Amino acid sequence: MADVIKCPVCGESNLPDQEFCQYCQSRLQPLTGSLKGANDPIKPGQAPTKKNTAELEPILPQWLRDARDSARKSAEDNAAQAGSQPQESFNTSPPDLLAGLQSQSGSDEEETPDWLANITGAAPKAKKPQAESPEVRWVELGGAKDFPQEESAKEEPEEEPFTPSWLTGLTPTESSSDVKDELTDWFRQENDSQKSQQSSESQPAPFDTSFSASESSDTPDWLKKMAADNPQNDDALFSDASKVFETPSSDTPDWLRQMAAEDDNAPILSAGTFDAPTSTPSSSGDAQPDWLRAMADSQDRPQDALPTQSADSASFSELTFDEPPTGIASEAVKSATNDNVPDWMKGFQSTESEELVQSETPAWLKKEDEPAPSAETEAPAWLSSMPATESEPEQAPAQDDAAFGDIPSWLKAAAPQSSLYEESAAEDLPLPASDSSPDSPDWLNTFKSTEISFEGPPPAFTPDSQSNENIDALFAEMPDWLTNATDPSPSTSTSPIPAANTDENIAPGELPSWVQAMRPVDTGSARSSSSPSASGDRTLESRGALAGLQGVLPSVPGFTPTSKPKAYSIKLQASEEQQAHAGLLEQILAAETAPVPIASFSALTTSRNLRWFLSFALLAVITTVLFMRGQSFPMPVGVPREINGALQVSQSIPEGAPVLVAFDYEPARAGEMEATAAPIFNVLRQPNLTFISTNEMGSILAERFISGPLADPDQSGFQYLNLGYLPGGQMGIRAFAQNPTRTTPQLVDITSLSQFMALIIITDNADSARAWIEQTSSIGNAIPILIISSAQAAPMIQPYYESQQVGGLVSGLYGGAVFEQNNGGVPGITRTYWDAYSIGMLLAMALIVGGGLLNLALGLRDRAAMRESN
Amino acid sequence: MVISADLITGILSFLFTLLILSYLIGDNPLFRIAIYIFVGASSGYIASVAWWQVIWPRLVSPLMFGSMLEKGLLLIPLIGSILIFMKVSPRLAGMGRIAMAYIVGVGAAVTIAGALSGTLMPQVMGTINAFDLVAAAGRNIEAVEVVFNGALILAGTVFTLIYFHFGARPQADGSMKRFRLIEILSWGGHIFIGITLGAIFAGVYAAALTALIERIASLINFIGNFL
Repeated sequence: MADVIKCPVCGESNLPDQEFCQYCQSRLQPLTGSLKGANDPIKPGQAPTKKNTAELEPILPQWLRDARDSARKSAEDNAAQAGSQPQESFNTSPPDLLAGLQSQSGSDEEETPDWLANITGAAPKAKKPQAESPEVRWVELGGAKDFPQEESAKEEPEEEPFTPSWLTGLTPTESSSDVKDELTDWFRQENDSQKSQQSSESQPAPFDTSFSASESSDTPDWLKKMAADNPQNDDALFSDASKVFETPSSDTPDWLRQMAAEDDNAPILSAGTFDAPTSTPSSSGDAQPDWLRAMADSQDRPQDALPTQSADSASFSELTFDEPPTGIASEAVKSATNDNVPDWMKGFQSTESEELVQSETPAWLKKEDEPAPSAETEAPAWLSSMPATESEPEQAPAQDDAAFGDIPSWLKAAAPQSSLYEESAAEDLPLPASDSSPDSPDWLNTFKSTEISFEGPPPAFTPDSQSNENIDALFAEMPDWLTNATDPSPSTSTSPIPAANTDENIAPGELPSWVQAMRPVDTGSARSSSSPSASGDRTLESRGALAGLQGVLPSVPGFTPTSKPKAYSIKLQASEEQQAHAGLLEQILAAETAPVPIASFSALTTSRNLRWFLSFALLAVITTVLFMRGQSFPMPVGVPREINGALQVSQSIPEGAPVLVAFDYEPARAGEMEATAAPIFNVLRQPNLTFISTNEMGSILAERFISGPLADPDQSGFQYLNLGYLPGGQMGIRAFAQNPTRTTPQLVDITSLSQFMALIIITDNADSARAWIEQTSSIGNAIPILIISSAQAAPMIQPYYESQQVGGLVSGLYGGAVFEQNNGGVPGITRTYWDAYSIGMLLAMALIVGGGLLNLALGLRDRAAMRESN
Repeated sequence: MVISADLITGILSFLFTLLILSYLIGDNPLFRIAIYIFVGASSGYIASVAWWQVIWPRLVSPLMFGSMLEKGLLLIPLIGSILIFMKVSPRLAGMGRIAMAYIVGVGAAVTIAGALSGTLMPQVMGTINAFDLVAAAGRNIEAVEVVFNGALILAGTVFTLIYFHFGARPQADGSMKRFRLIEILSWGGHIFIGITLGAIFAGVYAAALTALIERIASLINFIGNFL
């Protein structure tokens, strides 16, 4: 059976992996499961979740949906006929899931499920003529007013044998006909007493008054006993129930009021709690109680027969008549009218009535003799004695199993309403029936409303009585949705079964149904777990994308190593020879990476002492010579050609002729340049000097030169013009050479370079001399150039003299001394410096030669030492 | 004692001379102080010279007081100077490239023209005319001397040029070697270069020695003025 799933609709066998029946396309697997917590019981204090079950409509079988549709239509028709009459109690009474079953039986007979056909046998044929049977309406509306008592009274003799066994069991020790007679008599008496009481009371009598007044000897013993068992609980229960169980007196049965009258504590009940309606018609048959007749009248004239209700009574009607049809069914059992029994129940009884004897009456009925279903419906005061009946929970399961063996599951689901009473009395369940009824199926709302509103009725069915074994055995052919309704919650022993059945079809509010349908459900996982897995892993993934899957990531059993892995030494085992070779290889590699020092000459470093010694010697010698003002060294005699050319140029300059003098040397060379140039200017005969400089410092050096060395009284007669700084370097020189006047506006009479008689360039830099030579030689009408240079620039300027570009070259102190020596022998500054200069030159030569010789000697010594060492 | 400008000048000259000579014992703060003061004084003097001798008389004054022709002509150097001044800002340095291009172009042209006409061709002609006996006779130079000097100058020039000739051929052993004649002539050029460097060194030493003598003489004169 594990490999085949039987369709709950058509009963055909399907493969377990199919989601829909291949014959009737009905869903085989429910959309919800325990993974979603659908079967979790409703805990006290938990607010009901509003759930939309419209999407579950397709789950229902077609025949059931049609039946529900017809039920709704009939309900709407009744509502339309109701007019302005208050219909809270009837409108809010949730229709049963099986509503419209009978009404559709005629037209949709072929869609009757097999399980019903099996149960009822040839019942479908028998149902045909019953177009508007009372049980149909009872099933549809599930309210007390749906009982057409008149019709049931008419058909009572004929339908009596079809009372279900469990209903027949409600009559403790007598046969069904006896029970009916007893009840009808009892109700009739009660009705008479009720009439007498109503005539004496102008106002709706409270429940307690009716009970006290209607006490009679015809009251069943079991009811009297029940009423007597709860004297102490009535106060507490009905103090709260007074607000809830306010109902029109028309709905209160007389026998209930009679029972209330018997109660000692009945006066505690408020007067308005169970007011007996004075306007309730009592034209029903003699065999029926008043309330049943009233209900029958209300069925025929549902709006007219109902008395006007106050606000409190309206609330009472809402709460009371929202109760499930089970309570009403219980009253129907009490009335023992066989015409109220549905046809399928008649068939059920016909097939099993032979096996059930009257002695199989449930023990809870035998023992308590209480009409539990009726208590659920009306919730009278005497029903508050239910907690007292719970003192015997151990006997109930066995008795219930025997008693409800033949009861359909949906009736079983209705039965535990009384068990909810056990918890509701203790935990004060606050769930209102109106909250869940709009969104849940009607027949589920019926169950829920029963759970909420009923606090007084004794448990007609204890949860232990509905063991899975008995249910599975007895209702193997029942649809799953019906059999699930009988499954008790594992956590609660009370009556969450209908709620669980309801919640099972309700998807959790967080996820839409189609998403939930994609998720793996428990049934699938359970089925997969039942099948042998390759890995044998039963681990159920609880989170992540694999949530709900089982054995997806199997672990290989026995994979864990049984022994500790062997430890291997990482130390290299090498012999000495191998280590020696490794060492050599390491040295070779190190030699390759080691930097090779570059062979270079050692830098010639001078020691501080040597430097100080040379400095001291030079300073001492020069200072001494200068301080002594000696003239030990003679002036140079020979005249070099360049100096001779300078003499010729200087001597060729006519008196008062314009001479351009360029001062292009640095202040550091001022001493040398002034000493060198002074003899030349002494040769000139009152020249008209024009000073210009391509060096910024040249102009001030020119002023210094004029005010210094040339401050000789003999040279004081010459004139000079300091043009200052000539910017632009070679370009400036070129521009000045091309047009001196434009470049230097100070020149008034000189419009061309050729107007100068000579160009004297005083420079310590060969480049400066070259620039002047280059830029002025290209100009036509070249003028004689006399260069007075520093000794350091003389070697570079000498070629210009050899090439005859320069007329004369006087370089350094030697040139000045020669020039001065050949200028009439007038001693000048050159002579002052000459001794010191000569000594300095000799000292330098001596030091250089001495140093060289010393170095040579040291080298020879080192070589000899090396040779000896070798 | 009257403190004259010459005295102050002499004192400052004496002190700064000693500070500079202190470099003989090594780098010291006194030497640095003298150097920094000299740099600062030189910069200030150069700035004043640039303003008073270049900018003001050659640009600002003509723009302010010159004729319209002068002002029109000075717009070009004015714009050029402004563009060069843009090089102070890295963002605007590109605008000075035009003026710099002009300066570099004109400077290179002037330098090259001057080098060709003033150095290269005259030096070549001078070397060639070194053996000009007529010219030498006009300068009262004997022929032997002219020839010897001419030969020496020619040898020095040629050898030095050959010394800077680095052309070589690969040998059989793979080494590179110049011609033997080139090697010999380059060796002669090496000698001439050595002599030239010796002459330059002698000239540098002579110039430095002269400067030292002048400074010591000034110190002695300054001290002698107080003795």
